[in-house]
Formats: sequence, C-alpha cells, structure tokens
Amino acid sequence: MFHFQKENCRPDGRELSEFRTTTLNIGSISTANGSALVKLGNTTIICGIKAELANPTVEAPGKGYIVPNVDLPPLCSSRFRPGPPGEQAQAASQFIADVIESSELIKAEDLCIERGKLCWVLYCDIMCLDYDGNILDACIIALLAALKNTQLPEVTINKETCAPEVNSEKRRGLTIHKHPVGASFCVFDDSILIVDPTAEEESLSTAQLTVVTDEADRLCSLHKPGGTPLSGEKLQECISRATTRQREIQKLIDKVICSVKTEK
Amino acid sequence: MEVCESSKVSLREFGCEQNLLSRPDGSASFVQGDTSVMAGVYGPAEVKVSKEIYDRATLEVLIQPKVGLPTVRERSQEQCIRETCEASLLLSLHPRSSLTLVLQVLHDDGSLLSCFLNAACMALMDAGLPMSCLFCGVTCAINTDGQIITDPTAAQEKESRALMTFAIDCAKRRVLMSSTKGSFSVHELQQCIAVSQKASEKIFQFYRDSVRRRYSKNL
Amino acid sequence: MPTDTKRVRGPEVSQSPSLFLCHPAAVVLPSQGPRADGRQRDQVDVRPVFVRCGLVSQAKGSAYIEAGNTKLMCCVYGPRETERKDETDMKCGRLTTDMRFAPFSCPERGSWIQGSQDKDFSLMLHESLQPAVCLHKYPRSQIEVNVMVLENSGSVLAHAVTCASLALADAGIEMYDLVLSCSIRQDGSSYMADPSYEEENYSSSVSGENQGRLTVAFLPSLNQISGLQSDGEMTQETLTAGVRACIEGCYKLYPVVQQALAKAVRKAAPPPSES
Repeated sequence: MFHFQKENCRPDGRELSEFRTTTLNIGSISTANGSALVKLGNTTIICGIKAELANPTVEAPGKGYIVPNVDLPPLCSSRFRPGPPGEQAQAASQFIADVIESSELIKAEDLCIERGKLCWVLYCDIMCLDYDGNILDACIIALLAALKNTQLPEVTINKETCAPEVNSEKRRGLTIHKHPVGASFCVFDDSILIVDPTAEEESLSTAQLTVVTDEADRLCSLHKPGGTPLSGEKLQECISRATTRQREIQKLIDKVICSVKTEK
Repeated sequence: MEVCESSKVSLREFGCEQNLLSRPDGSASFVQGDTSVMAGVYGPAEVKVSKEIYDRATLEVLIQPKVGLPTVRERSQEQCIRETCEASLLLSLHPRSSLTLVLQVLHDDGSLLSCFLNAACMALMDAGLPMSCLFCGVTCAINTDGQIITDPTAAQEKESRALMTFAIDCAKRRVLMSSTKGSFSVHELQQCIAVSQKASEKIFQFYRDSVRRRYSKNL
Repeated sequence: MPTDTKRVRGPEVSQSPSLFLCHPAAVVLPSQGPRADGRQRDQVDVRPVFVRCGLVSQAKGSAYIEAGNTKLMCCVYGPRETERKDETDMKCGRLTTDMRFAPFSCPERGSWIQGSQDKDFSLMLHESLQPAVCLHKYPRSQIEVNVMVLENSGSVLAHAVTCASLALADAGIEMYDLVLSCSIRQDGSSYMADPSYEEENYSSSVSGENQGRLTVAFLPSLNQISGLQSDGEMTQETLTAGVRACIEGCYKLYPVVQQALAKAVRKAAPPPSES
C-alpha cells in the first residue's frame, strides 16, 4: 500500500482524488413506495422506502416520522456476523438520520396528513449488498434517489367515521427541499488524502472523514469520528472536492429520473 | 454569559475530580455547568479471543445514559470517542489486551459530547495509560443571529441552527474529531474551529492546573 | 414487545395504507382460464428467469435470480474454520444457511428482526442443499449460505434453493449436482406452476380438498429429490402429479442455470485465444 502511495496511484489504478464509477437504478422494487440501487465501484447499496400511517406524537402534532435504518447483513461481507446490527451499522443509521435532519432534505411537517391525528411514517430501509468501502456516500445517494422516486397515495379523513381513506389511484411525489451528497475521504498519517476509499483502503487508513454538502454549498455534516488530526488546508481541499461531487451526483440523479419518466 | 466575540471565548464553569472510584484503574468526573459525566477506565486487562488484535490493545467505549438503555445515538457517540482515544493513546504498547472506558451520564445540560471527551481524557490520564497527546472536546452552537456560542446549555442547543463538536489535540491544536448537526457555511465552520481552538487552550490549562493541584497534595 | 435499541426507532404503531383503501382492489383471481399474468393453468408455465453469477466482490461465490418480480440474491462464504466446535465437525463440514427478507420486499413492511417464517425457510433451504454438497471434503470447516430476498412475488423458497446452489457452484464448493427447485399451487383440480404472491396467498373459492402448495428441490443429473415441502391438503394422486409437474419445471430452469454458470466460469478464466 505504501508503495502505491509513493507513486500517487492506488491499487485499482485510480488517482487520489478520483471516485469510482457511480451507477444508479431507481424504482426497481415494485413492493416499495420508492427504491433505488446504487453501485459505487463494487459497493452496492439498495434503499427501499415504505410509507405507513400512524398517529403523530403529542409533542409534535404537525410532524410525520422519517425512520432511516442502515443494515450491513452478513451477505455483504465476511466481516459482518448475523444478528442485530453492529456498531458500524448503528453509527451509519445515526449518521443518515442526522443528515436528513440537518439538511432538511424532506421536512417532517410535509408528512402530516391531519394535525394531531394522522401522519405518514417513511421507513427508509437501506441495505448493503456488497461491501467494498465508502458505504456512507452510497447510502446518501441511494436514500436521496429513493425519496425522489417515492410516490404516496392520497389520503383523506372521512368526516363521519373519522377513519382514513386511501385513494391509491391518485399519487403524488414528495417535496425534496435539498439535495445533500456526501464525499468520504481516508487520511494516511495526515500526509495523504484519498477520496472514495475501498474496503482495503479503509482498513489501512488512520482516519476517515465524510463531508456532506447541498446544492447551495452549505455543509450539512462534517463527520470525522476520531483518528489522526487533519490540517486546515486539507480540510478545505475536502470541502471543495465535496462540492464538485454534489454537482456530479445531482446531475446523475436528475438524468436517471428523467430517463425513467420518458420510459413510461 | 457564554456569548463570545471573536477575541474572548467564554465557557461555563468547569470542574473535575480524578481517582474518585476505587474499582476502576482510572476514573474521573467532569462537570461543565450543569452537565456532568463520570468516567471509569479498566485495563490493560485480558482480552476476549474474538476481540483480540495482535499488535495493539482493543479499546471499548460504553456510554450509559442517565435513564434507559443506550440507543443508536449513544452508539454513534461511542464510535466518535473511541476513535479519538485510539488516535491519542499509544495502543501498540499493550498488544493483545483490552481497555474499557465507561462513561456514565449524571446530568445532561448541553455540550454532552464534549463533556464525554473531557471526562474520558482525564480518566485515561488517571489510569496512567501512555498517550501521545491529550485531547479535549469543545461544542459550538451557531444561533439564529449567526453568533457563535461556545459550550452551550441544552436550551441554547435547542435554539441554535447548527451545532458542532470538535475534539482538539494539545500538541498542535488540530481537529481530531468532528461531529456536526444542522447546516452551515464553510466560513462559519472555519470560525467555529478557530473559536474551539482558542477555547481548548483554556481547557488544557485547566487540565494542567487540576493535575498539579492533585499531585502537590499527594507529595 | 422489547424495544429495539439498536435501530432508529419510529412510532410504536403504524399501519399499512392498504388497510384503508377506499376502493379496495378486489383481488379476484380467475379460478378458471388463463392466470392473472397471462400464463396457462395446468401447464408447467414458469416465469422466465434471469440469473447471473459472481456479482458480489466480497463473497466467495454469489448469484442473483429474477423471476417475474421475485428478486433475490445469494452469497456464499467459506469454507472457513467453524466457530463452534462439536465432534461431528471433525469429519465433515457444516453448512449454515440464513435466509432473510428485506423489510421492503413484501407488500406489507416486514420487521428487521428475523421472524419464524425466515427461520423455517432457512431450515428448508438447508435441508434441500445439504444432500448436494460434498461436505466430507471440508472437514472442520463451515460454508455459509446467505440469501436475501429483495422483492417477494411468490415462489421465494424455490428460487432461493436454485440461487443458493448456483452461488455454491460459483464459489467452487464441491457438489454432487446442482439443486433446482420449483413450486406449484394446487387449487382444486387445477394447479399453477411458479405461483405469484397473490396466487400463493389467496384463499380459493373452490373449497375442500386439494388445496395446497408444494415445493420440490431436485438434483437433475442424479434424478433425485433432495427436498420436498408441502402444506395444505392434497390427495395422494394429486401430490404425485404435483411432484411430477415440479420436476418438469426444474428441467425448464436447467439450461438457463447451466448457461449462467458457464458464462461465469468463462469470465473468471477466459479460454486461451486461438492465435
């Protein structure tokens, strides 16, 4: 590995600041309200969104729920054991939840059907099918694309019976307020910075960093769970790479959604 | 009171007591205003075979909330604290052994993650574990007027539009860990890092004073 | 119910919107004539399958199968050292199977926690695969088979067995034969091969005997049955006829599976170019 670094080249032939090929496929799961499959090199993430009805909480009567969960099943890599989610999966779930809240990707208020009585719950289940590093970036792309693909049926409340009525013929999409996109980096002893690490590079690195930005170039998250320190200039480098990445991904998502629409 | 201009940084009153528990190998309590955390360190001790790492010690961080069981949020904080400690501890000096750091929340009134970090650092020091540098945690909140508040209370956290916690090392004042909530511009981020670096000096001075006080008593 | 502290939690109760449909789409499946998707009744009219091997980079072997809307994938890890050591493992290896449904795979959202259905399926998968794997060649080691159902549109177990045997073959695990599987839904005097989710679960208007589901796992070149699972009530003759229909269905899959495997082998080790 260190031999590679001297040559400014990576084991898979990429340059230090080069992402792997990103492919996106949306709406492939017909049992979900919205779905997306993202491939980032070998890393494969699928996100399925299921909408259900529930009563809002007393503290927030005008808000719905968004419940994101990341699962790393033993299927995706030999490093994960069967059973309840491990620390990495839990930390990823929390990270995705924080990104949704910080970026205001969708507002919980939009999911309210009738104040204090009925609201939507969006279960965003994200699953890794092939673990080859940098799952956080892929998870955010999958989530964003799946939410953009989500269609909710129209719900009205019957005045007499007070029971909800669902009209599955009338469907509408969600309002996506922001388009946060992440860029992850690996640090090797504060000297070398690489983007979009593979599983091998992740395990050898001394620190990891994920920067999430939206289309207005505002930062939604600067997530660096420990590791070796990072200088200010390097940080600036990461942020500017993240903003260009945001543009690329937003373009990709728009293109894929457009092509799906024309197919129909 | 905590409102800061660019020149001066104000933190809540903080306090620390080391070696207050008899069972762990190192312990500390850290108080920032009304936020209070107790930390205990066990080890180096024998490690489970499944968790053994052949060239360094295995560090485990456990957060106990004030009530109830730890949730996903605690797990994510545990990860942040563990990786920060791993970066400053010289774990390769204790291969094939285990270190356990237990953090108990006594009261949460904002800036909890930074309090965890400070308590963790003091407890590791008390346990006499070899470290390459010390670290401290600083939380900054940006309120709706765009002002930066260091070491916010729970109420201030709630009103803020962005919240950032950094872990800063004592050697070069660089950022070891960063965890943020809410959206903010690059300029605001840089301001917050600068403010945190300034605030860290106060905390490191406090570390030094409290250790000096403790050992001057003992000797 | 104990609260799950290892996941982001939602509200305590939530209900699927399909319970409140104002014009409930009447699920009336024709009990005679062609089936809802245009396939023929009483014929081994299986859905065309798409299979692919070696998709997952991290696994020793993997396979993906798609039949209609049923989509599932399987990864094989191992052989590696067994975690639990009992005496039986000294001579022969252990095959472990784990089958899970993605929460979004069914019309109703499933829980992340493995239900009893998943465990039953895992067990049946194990029973169907074990006779085909040369476990005596792998002493003191275990081979892990993980199946993930991405979308459930019927006949999940049958396709899982086929997919798993393909993944095992892709992993280079020594086997006596491939395992192919097919299922039918018996409805009175007629049957439907490779049923869809609706066909599998609807309760027929034709009440009485000969209502049931049957899944057969079959070793094609040995001409042996390795697994048979049936529920419902069927007469002896119907059951035998059903098993025959399933075997016929398996033979229809055989060329597709063989081709996918040959393609994967060719990709992994391209034949020397003739020059």
